[in-house]
Amino acid sequence: MTMMRRAVLAAAVALGAMAPATLTPAKAQEVTLDVLYCFPSFARFHEPLAKEFMAKNPDIKINFRAPSPSYDEGHQVMLRSALTNQLPDVFYSGFHLFPELVRTLVKRNQVVALDGFLDKEGADFRKANFSDNLVGLGIVEKKIYGLPFNASNPIMYFNTELVKKAGGDPANMPTTFDGVIELAKKINDPAAGINGMAYDVHGWPDSWLFEAMISQAGGRLLNEDGNDIAFDGPAGLQALRTFRRMVTDGGMQMIDWEQSRQQFGAGKIGIFFTTPAHLTQITNLVGGKFIWGTTKFPIADQANGRIPTGGNAVMMFTQDPAKQKAAWEFIKYVTGPEAQKIVVEMTGYLPTNLRASSPEFLGPFYDKNPNYRTPVLQIDRAGPWGAYPGGNTVRIWRAQRDVIGKVMRGEVTPEAGLTEIVSTTRDMMKAK
Amino acid sequence: MTSLAVAPSEAEQSAAPRPGHLSLGKAFALVATHAVLVVGAVVMLLPFVWMFATAVRPPSEILAHPLDPFPRAFHGVENFTQALKTAPLLKFMANGVIVCAGILIVQLLVAIPAAYALAKLSFPGRSLLFGLVIAGLCIPIQVPALPLYIALANLGLLDTYFAMMVPFFISVFAIFLFRQTFKTFPDEIIQAARVDGVGEIEILWRIVVPSAWPAIAAFSVFSVVAHWNDLYWPMIVIQRLEYAPPPLGMLFFTGTESGANYGSLMAGATIITLPLVVLFLIARRRFVQGITMTGIK
Amino acid sequence: MTSALNIQPAAAARRRRIAALGALFAAPAAVLIVAILVVPVCMLLALSFTDYEIGAIAIRWVGTANFERAITDPVFRRAIANTLLYVAIVLPGGVALGLLFALLIHARTRTRGFYEVVYFLPVTTTLIAMAAVWQFLLHPRLGPVNAALKALGFSEQAFISDPKLLLPTLAAIGLWQVVGFNMVLFLAGLSAIPRDLYDAAAVDGAGGAVDRFLTVTWPMLAPTTLFVAVTTSITAFKVFDTVAALTQGKYGSEVLLYAIYLEGFQYFKMGYAAALTVVFLAFMLAFSLVQAFQLDRRVHYS
Repeated sequence: MTMMRRAVLAAAVALGAMAPATLTPAKAQEVTLDVLYCFPSFARFHEPLAKEFMAKNPDIKINFRAPSPSYDEGHQVMLRSALTNQLPDVFYSGFHLFPELVRTLVKRNQVVALDGFLDKEGADFRKANFSDNLVGLGIVEKKIYGLPFNASNPIMYFNTELVKKAGGDPANMPTTFDGVIELAKKINDPAAGINGMAYDVHGWPDSWLFEAMISQAGGRLLNEDGNDIAFDGPAGLQALRTFRRMVTDGGMQMIDWEQSRQQFGAGKIGIFFTTPAHLTQITNLVGGKFIWGTTKFPIADQANGRIPTGGNAVMMFTQDPAKQKAAWEFIKYVTGPEAQKIVVEMTGYLPTNLRASSPEFLGPFYDKNPNYRTPVLQIDRAGPWGAYPGGNTVRIWRAQRDVIGKVMRGEVTPEAGLTEIVSTTRDMMKAK
Repeated sequence: MTSLAVAPSEAEQSAAPRPGHLSLGKAFALVATHAVLVVGAVVMLLPFVWMFATAVRPPSEILAHPLDPFPRAFHGVENFTQALKTAPLLKFMANGVIVCAGILIVQLLVAIPAAYALAKLSFPGRSLLFGLVIAGLCIPIQVPALPLYIALANLGLLDTYFAMMVPFFISVFAIFLFRQTFKTFPDEIIQAARVDGVGEIEILWRIVVPSAWPAIAAFSVFSVVAHWNDLYWPMIVIQRLEYAPPPLGMLFFTGTESGANYGSLMAGATIITLPLVVLFLIARRRFVQGITMTGIK
Repeated sequence: MTSALNIQPAAAARRRRIAALGALFAAPAAVLIVAILVVPVCMLLALSFTDYEIGAIAIRWVGTANFERAITDPVFRRAIANTLLYVAIVLPGGVALGLLFALLIHARTRTRGFYEVVYFLPVTTTLIAMAAVWQFLLHPRLGPVNAALKALGFSEQAFISDPKLLLPTLAAIGLWQVVGFNMVLFLAGLSAIPRDLYDAAAVDGAGGAVDRFLTVTWPMLAPTTLFVAVTTSITAFKVFDTVAALTQGKYGSEVLLYAIYLEGFQYFKMGYAAALTVVFLAFMLAFSLVQAFQLDRRVHYS
């Protein structure tokens, strides 16, 4: 009978291990917050921020969920979680998908407006800490549903030595993409394994770099009413043509965005466009192998040109009052000057807190690391990051990306590519 | 030297030795054979060698010497500690152990009696059940995944060890396999035990099961390996990092380190692959027997 | 016990007891089979004719609309094409290479164990972890494979971002993992060939290695070969891990299971995903039918 008894015991142990772990016994006043963010590599600053916060607030525990690989995937996870009642307490939503998320969840009372919490901090709190522009990114239907946590606009990185060798002037990099492609052509040196430039729109996880190309020339993603595409014409065409020229003339190699980063770090790419959020990572990758710099994103239309603001807003979902209080403390902390200083130093993001750029926080850092100042210098060009009505933004971008890839490889002409993009996008905007 | 089967060198035995150019031919054949095998072996081992070499190199070396597998400086401690710091790799493996053990125990508890009943006891609905078992053999987990997910979501059971294990509690393959094995067990012994007044449960667990030990062991290996390496189902039901089994955890870890620190990424990969490799080297025969069963599946 | 009159009730009582025990032993399995296989598959079939999205308030019956949509969906078509292409590479490659190495290793005595270990090692690995290694190995500028290509005079290739190279690259990784497995199966099959057949063939004049192979080995291996072929096809058809780890479906690398995953678990079009899963199931059943016939014959032989 021992075998039977052993088997039963083993089963009992297994069953015990299987018990749904949602029944974690909480200490008397301890609150645990479930937090979800996107891009696992950002654990670099999320983890230290959480540690700092928990040290200052011993009765609040921060628990991170498995980070989503990208904003787009995180968005889908959130939508799914809303329907299966698995929402985290706090989430960092990409700006472009933020309105869609709010609109979907507000209908089911699953997202919490932050105006009340903000007001309770006092009249001056908001003015002292947040610019209206940035807060505006977190407003949907006149209520604040998210506070900006990370913000950035794409910038140009360049390898100073390669630029000089090609006859360019690192202190006066081109301010239009035509100029950039010209310079990249001269830098391009296949024999030495050097690529002139990289602009990885064909592998980017979201629409950011595509929209940047359109809006820097004065175009827009959607029309004024927000119900139809506005790049169906010269704006879209010039974008696709430019992408193709980057490959044919600029010496761009069509590899994955992560591989481009490594290649730039190894000194094999002359001019490289990506998010300032990777500044620290790239600094470490280069490690002193060569001199490099950053400068503003090229803007062809000096009057109306804009670049989409990437990044994310931190949002609250928990309906439990005790957790809400804790969540607000956490949100206040991560959007506060100390936390923003840490984030900027670890990444290169724009600080979303006004006080953070002051001399007592980031002043000296910016003095010592001028590369990090670039995003701040182009704030006046920051525009919104668009999304499509109909709830299919993620799928639309992926379909567009496929066509853009084909255009860049020369498999279809830019004209044909634009037609395909426009018709597919219009279809998906209508689809349920 | 344990091998799967007898290694008859019939190539040498049956060929009658002839003088002259045949020995040259044979020598050539031998060299050619080993050449091909060695090339194949290099291809098979290349990722392992590179993984380990990169895991012990400092970052500056990794990108500087693409073709050279021999590290010049030893940076292994830093890389491995970085990997363990960046992601809870040991927790992932602990999760793997919990999930695989839970699954295996229930699989055996459910399949063994059922297989015995199908093999030795006649009861109403027996052929129907066996038909269902056969039909179930054709259905991989990805088919019922969708409805199971919906059901678990409605029950609020996602993100739990239970959710990770539940679709695998029934292993029709185990039932099929054990039934084959039990069928070969002599009826007379069972009859004799019954006559002696031994209860059927005791007959099953104390008399019949021990005789099927090789099959059970092999199946256990198969089950553990399959579920240790399973990505699809955990990816769907698990969002909380602390429940992630090794493949899911590795996916997360790759996202964290990709493009930043190859040394630490390879160190993490080494840690994750180590358990099964070690298990394989220790229990080679059982391991291969178990895995070969997926062929029958 | 021996009287004819007494046998009837005693035997019947025994039969009933056995039947009750049988039902009891089989009950848990039966319940689980129904709950985990039968009911979900039926639900799946039903779902595939609806427009269900998880959490939706109303479900509509849409008949075959999902299937019609699948036929014209470029992502699905690409997924099927990619998956079939993947199988088309891995199946013959896996069988041929598995057989080749098995033949070569079978005759070794001292080095056999070593080679067995080396070739089987990839089979034991967690594919996701090895995918990270392969990603590094295949890096266009900084990885050893391209460095070697350049040293040999070829130009570097973007193995995992060039749509033309992607599928073959994924297939190569799949091959890397499956060859050792097939080799082991072939080794078992080769060992089962009676030696006297070779002696007889030698007597008949078939002395050379190629002759021996064609007249004895290949025919006797036929069941094993078919076996390996079907297993490899099924495994190849279920490709998912390498796509999830290396490309996430970018650059046109979607495969069937990944497309189902996207539709069902990222876009929540559960009805549509169910329809795609039905297609997947159809393929699986086709493969399994072949395998079932094969298995049946093998069981009867042994």
